[in-house]
Amino acid sequence: METEAIPQLVQEQIDSADLVVGLIAQFDSDILAKTYSALQALPDPLRIAVVDNGQAESEALAKPLADETESTAAAKNRATVFHLASPWTKPEAGAPGVRMAAAYESVFAVAEKLKARGCCVIASSLENVTPGWAWQLAEPLFQGEVDLVLPHYARRKFEGLLNNGIIAPLLRALYGKRVNNPMGPDFAVSQRLLQKMLAAKTSRSVNGSRRHPLASLTPTALCENLQLAEVHLGPRIYAPVDWTGLSSVLADVLGPVFLDMERNAPCWQRTRASATVRTIGEPVILDTDAGSVEAARMVESFQLGNRELQEIWALVLPPSTLFELRKLARLSLEQFHMPDELWVRIVYDFALAHRLRTINRDHLLRSMTPLYLAWVASYAQDVKASGVASPERRLERLSVAYEVGKSYLVSRWRWPDRFNP
Amino acid sequence: MWQQVKQALVDSTTRFLTRFVSLLPGLAALIVALFLSAILAWILAAIARRLLTSLHFDERLARRGFASPAESSPMNSPTRLVSRSLAALVLLSGFLIGIAAFDFQWTSLFIQSIIAYIPNVLAACLLLFVGNIVARFIARSVLIGAVNLNLQYARFLSIGIKWLVIVLTVAMALEHLKIAPGVVELAFGILFGGIVLSLALAVGLGSKEFVTKSLERDVQKAPGEPRSEPVEEDPLRHL
Repeated sequence: METEAIPQLVQEQIDSADLVVGLIAQFDSDILAKTYSALQALPDPLRIAVVDNGQAESEALAKPLADETESTAAAKNRATVFHLASPWTKPEAGAPGVRMAAAYESVFAVAEKLKARGCCVIASSLENVTPGWAWQLAEPLFQGEVDLVLPHYARRKFEGLLNNGIIAPLLRALYGKRVNNPMGPDFAVSQRLLQKMLAAKTSRSVNGSRRHPLASLTPTALCENLQLAEVHLGPRIYAPVDWTGLSSVLADVLGPVFLDMERNAPCWQRTRASATVRTIGEPVILDTDAGSVEAARMVESFQLGNRELQEIWALVLPPSTLFELRKLARLSLEQFHMPDELWVRIVYDFALAHRLRTINRDHLLRSMTPLYLAWVASYAQDVKASGVASPERRLERLSVAYEVGKSYLVSRWRWPDRFNP
Repeated sequence: MWQQVKQALVDSTTRFLTRFVSLLPGLAALIVALFLSAILAWILAAIARRLLTSLHFDERLARRGFASPAESSPMNSPTRLVSRSLAALVLLSGFLIGIAAFDFQWTSLFIQSIIAYIPNVLAACLLLFVGNIVARFIARSVLIGAVNLNLQYARFLSIGIKWLVIVLTVAMALEHLKIAPGVVELAFGILFGGIVLSLALAVGLGSKEFVTKSLERDVQKAPGEPRSEPVEEDPLRHL
């Protein structure tokens, strides 16, 4: 298939831009070209700098088509798109989480350098990213007083489970805003939030560890009382699940979230209840038939973990929780159900153990995998039993359980030795 | 004749008594040194025990993968081990001081050789300590990794790896102490090889079905041939 070349890209040194668009994911040139065209066709005469991972340089920039300058674009009252060479030099070095963090920080640094009014990052696989995604995300920054625009993807019931089961309800309970995807990964930030994040990055960090831009994004905005909005973006394509790498995913994702929780403890301990955030666009309804899930395998993993990891869990979880888990491990697949309250306490106890460094942090997060699989199996059983329209209600119930259980977290956080039920 | 025998007996008794009397100050010094060192050892052990208890030493060690307090009785908890080791060290020092009071050539040689041996003992202790920590850390990593890979023999694998590291460490420590180096080398080879062989057999036998299925699948499928059975994609997406 012949690829469409990227139209009019001005590759030069620029000293300012209105919007910086960072394309972090692997992409094909067709989609890239369409994204550039969509940005160029914007009705506002914006100066847009596009930063990508370097692929465009080799594949498309070698054959620019049009020869349009900034002045002609301005004359036509259209946006001018600049291309900046990849600011991240070694995309293959380090763990995936570290690579992602470095890429985000590079885009933020470019936005800061160009004094951009907004910065938008697209990290999803561009196979399903429509050319308009970047502007859909960035537009609220320019139209209203919004500082962080987060995506609201259309998901099937078994998609985004780590986000739905831990991250989103946890951050909702902590910071009091019902955000569906607090860690993006596609989002747009205002100059104000960007400056606050960069300032926080340079300030003293907890235990010398670095802030992860994705984990600290929403907490920073909420603790600084900045405005958030969500945009319905439609479906997102996910990479197939790698069962052997699940514990690494948990460690990579939850580590920064728990670290950020530690940093923002004074902020989230003040917050009570939760409120909705402004949502832009129309939700996309997907077909609900998402196939069946092998819950038996996950229950087996949990039972094995319950048998072999007791000595580690006993250092993290209180005796009552361990007792509940032992009871759960004896249930058959048909009866298998992990109560939301139990799951919420487990997550909170692991967050606390992460803060207290009860055991090596990597060991701690990886030992959570069988418990997470038990929750996934329980969720799959619940959704299967209660019908098609239930996932949202099921997840809402879970989020409420996180909010109700917050007093338990606060008590344990403040008096870890004294309060141990 | 009888006079000469009597004289010899008196002389030998005098010599014996003279030597014995000359030993008495040393003996008294040894007893006093042992007595004082015992008192000092008891005081230091009590202080160490109190200090370590207030620092939650046992719990801290348990968190780092050492035996948890539930597993070890109060009689052999890490705190008690440290305090008793400290007491034994003080008692040993007192004994050496007492021995040195005899002022014989062999005692000074004995003490010199013991002092020259101390660096070896310290290095061996350090090796054992570090080896123990590394063994437990690796064992925990292997246990968690194996459980997450759904391996039923996760515990066995973890224990096997732990003992591999411990055996290696003990062999290194004994080598450092120069205790029967030939026997240690031989015993190490046998033990290490035995553990590796038993681990390989256990893992191999445990994974027999998995390997058979995997090989059968590869043999049945010709190179480049598309998969005949459609594979149902797992709808689970975690991120």
